[in-house]
Amino acid sequence: MTTIDANSPASTAVDPPVDNYLTYTRGILSWALTLDHKRIGVMYLFAVLSSFFVGGVFALLVRTELLTPGVTLPWVDADTYNEYFTLHGAIMVFLVIIPSIPAALGNFVLPVMLGAKDVAFPRMNLGSFYLWIVGAVCAVYSLVAGGFDTGWTFYTPYSTTTSFSGVIPVLIGVFILGFSSIFTGINFVVTIHKLRPPGMTWFRMPLFLWATYATALIQVLATPVLGITLLMLIVERVAQIGLFDPAMGGDPVLFQHFFWFYSHPAVYIMILPAMGIISEIISVHAHRHIFGYRFIAFSSVAIAIFSFLVWGHHMFTSGQSPLMNTLFSAITFSVAIPSAIKVFNWLSTLYKGSISLNTPMLYGLGFIFLFTIGGLTGLHLGTLNTDIHLHDTYFVVAHFHYVMMGSALIAMIGGLHHWWPKMFGKMYKENHGAIGFWLVFIGFNVTFFTQFMLGSHGMPRRYYDYMPEFQIYHVISTIGSYIMALGFFWTAYYLIASLISGKKAPANPWGGRSLEWQCSSPPPHDNFKTTPSVGDCYDFSVVHWDEEEGGYVVDRSGLPESEEKPSSH
Amino acid sequence: MMPNLLENILTPLAATVAQSTAPAEETVQAAQATTEIVEETGRPMRDLGGTFWLPEPQSTLAPSMDWAFMAITWLCYICFAGIVIALVYFTWKYRQKGNEVVYQADAPLHNTPLEVGWTVVPLLLCIAIFFMGFKGFLDLSTPPKDSYEIRVTAFKWGWGFKYPNGATSENLIVPVGQPVKLIMRSSDVLHSLYIPAFRVKKDVVPGRYSYLWFQADEIAGFPESDTSVETGHYLFCTEYCGTGHSNMNRVVYVLPQDDFEAWEEEQARWLDSVPDEDLYAVAGPRLYSKCSNCHTIDGGANTGPSWGDPTSGSLAGLGDVWKRTKDGTTPVTGGTKGKPGTTLADYIGEGKLYGTPEDYIRASILNPGELLVAGYGPNMPHFRGQIDERGIDGLIMMMAKIDEFDAAGRFKGTLPSVSAAGGEGTESE
Repeated sequence: MTTIDANSPASTAVDPPVDNYLTYTRGILSWALTLDHKRIGVMYLFAVLSSFFVGGVFALLVRTELLTPGVTLPWVDADTYNEYFTLHGAIMVFLVIIPSIPAALGNFVLPVMLGAKDVAFPRMNLGSFYLWIVGAVCAVYSLVAGGFDTGWTFYTPYSTTTSFSGVIPVLIGVFILGFSSIFTGINFVVTIHKLRPPGMTWFRMPLFLWATYATALIQVLATPVLGITLLMLIVERVAQIGLFDPAMGGDPVLFQHFFWFYSHPAVYIMILPAMGIISEIISVHAHRHIFGYRFIAFSSVAIAIFSFLVWGHHMFTSGQSPLMNTLFSAITFSVAIPSAIKVFNWLSTLYKGSISLNTPMLYGLGFIFLFTIGGLTGLHLGTLNTDIHLHDTYFVVAHFHYVMMGSALIAMIGGLHHWWPKMFGKMYKENHGAIGFWLVFIGFNVTFFTQFMLGSHGMPRRYYDYMPEFQIYHVISTIGSYIMALGFFWTAYYLIASLISGKKAPANPWGGRSLEWQCSSPPPHDNFKTTPSVGDCYDFSVVHWDEEEGGYVVDRSGLPESEEKPSSH
Repeated sequence: MMPNLLENILTPLAATVAQSTAPAEETVQAAQATTEIVEETGRPMRDLGGTFWLPEPQSTLAPSMDWAFMAITWLCYICFAGIVIALVYFTWKYRQKGNEVVYQADAPLHNTPLEVGWTVVPLLLCIAIFFMGFKGFLDLSTPPKDSYEIRVTAFKWGWGFKYPNGATSENLIVPVGQPVKLIMRSSDVLHSLYIPAFRVKKDVVPGRYSYLWFQADEIAGFPESDTSVETGHYLFCTEYCGTGHSNMNRVVYVLPQDDFEAWEEEQARWLDSVPDEDLYAVAGPRLYSKCSNCHTIDGGANTGPSWGDPTSGSLAGLGDVWKRTKDGTTPVTGGTKGKPGTTLADYIGEGKLYGTPEDYIRASILNPGELLVAGYGPNMPHFRGQIDERGIDGLIMMMAKIDEFDAAGRFKGTLPSVSAAGGEGTESE
């Protein structure tokens, strides 16, 4: 196949690749109007990472303000602080974490992993990206229009009565972002159902696909509820019709039910694809068949189903009935089981592996470390009487940052490193990657582990001012956040540097077996000339290092007849 | 032990940091340093107390919560250690030297008994943890029949506590060794009442009543001096409610039964016993403690307009609250009965909204929001039923003589009548 030959060492290094998606067509319009899932993925990636930067700046402002009780930064008063943490939360949840893995990495990788030319509905895919842009513009406009200080949770009746006038624009923005997410979800569900290549049965799919499939189901089923809830909130704020305002016979707790009916599954929209990435990273970099494939696949689906049944655990102190609290607590523990299964399976995948400690693998192992802490502290919060003490304290803040950031975002960064050579055809420097990982990893733990202690000692969240005895923890936490920020800036630096001066990436730099490692780096416009057929994507017995290639090759001579040869080898 | 070791390191560090925030004076004695922190943040520096994880338990149900917390925590330590040890060991043992894959054909693909095992064992542990929490939760949500009932009103941004005999307070005062049930309502948005030392928390929802109960088992009485709140337990608002959310904290004092009854009696009757000539000097400051969260006396900026001469903002240079009200110079930006771009002079006088400046101030306490002072939002809760007419009288007189009070609202001069009892007033502030 020509595409592969173009990248093989036989062709001279000065010649640009004959066909890759980055150089296939040129000009801004060729990107803006592209239907290529890879280009849409890259645009999403850029958009998400830019939002991550903005959300991160707000996080640093919040952490800096908390260095001392009362005012620290002279221009940050209580209202400004409230706006900062609201922006941090809203940006990170709606603009960064929810689209990060599915829309950015998933868009790029999913069709290639399937051996497909594109997703099922390429135009809808581009539409999803532009909806994201419109949503983001609405969020920016809300800042111009007066900002919002409701917290990312928009609890009523505060959100319907606050004097900040940017609330409605941001609600419209989040509403639109919801549709962006639904479009991605529909696309992935249909693509996985209809565009699998011959030979790829459900149980031969890479686990990342199982995870994105489960995620897409949640996106399609849960996000509409958010949309309706936000519309109701807009109507309530504009027309005061009394849906949630008790002064007019409404019920503020009803809003919480609606909100968490989406937002708890949304937690799994964030973490499930992250788990999928980790299954790939661990198995590829350990060069070892994933342990307990079916348990991992089923646990993704189990998590997706359970995720719809546990929203009430955000409301143990809200005044919902003790019976409801009891039921929700019991069901909540059921989510712990599939999560634990995944961790045990990843650990067993390391056993008798052949482990390369590449940067993606560092992130993969770091994920297991952080997710274990995040998951285990969930036990404190799922338990009824301990949650009464810990609810809405920094313990919760620490817990969900371990899961949302320490797990979901760390997996996203890991996945970015894992597929970076594939996406851009360049290698970053390994030792640079390791430095970045350790800065982020250490900074993260310093920042958030201290917050567990803050919370269990009774420090409530969303506090501008606090008791002086809590200060030492806040100082440590803030220092950690600076270390983490340094790590991220460093990572941004070496990744960008690799685009300019990085070594050319081989087709298969890590020794992966799934289909994306069989096309060239970066992939050609069509991904594959002919539909490839596949065998066991976790069979590493045939993966060998090729010195000439500078990467790994798959020796297909011993493979059964059913496994076609989609590449030149 | 590891936790204690860390704690020993953290505690002196905390002291160092706290001192560094105090004004940089070289030879401050330890005692003075504490006072300065009080001056600067309005709060004394306390010892965090308790264990590495939890503050000192102070209620009858706290120990069982602590037990559950520590049981789960130890389970977490064990699981975490196991996972991380396996992680590090496997990664080291099976590390790949060089680029070539060392493929081990005998590496298992799955192991059903093992996988069923690590599904069932966590499930059993989770069921056990669930029941532990369930039992504790049943106790927490079942107030004993003989509970002493205190009615709570949460508002932006403070708490009103009302006792069966009609006494009211801003801090929560409870008797020791008796179950106390709080019957809570909110007059605006969601709030949540949280007392970490008692391990209790409950949202306060507008439009419904919610209950919370506890029984304090140790005395935590009033502090010796009123500048320091060394005793008592913190009471926080833990549901985000806007600008003053983080200042919506108060103190819970636990008194011996006799002291509590005496306090309650005095609290309900004190206003009647203040002689008329002392009303502004005694009742004023005591009632001002309800206002001090939002209104300063020294002109400093806060949520509400200062009662003194504001140094900044829309009222700068207009004089103290009485002067600018009397002169009618206060600018108005709206409100339910006001129009933007007007001043108080348009509303006070014969045939206007308020007959006299006193009427305006009284209305601002009972029905705030009718007129909004320029630069301030509709944030003030109403105080209907919380301050009676005589108390309002005292507050208006205090405003008129604001120069006789210091920044904390304490009366600086000597009482017009020396007969006023010295003991009252200081306790509840």
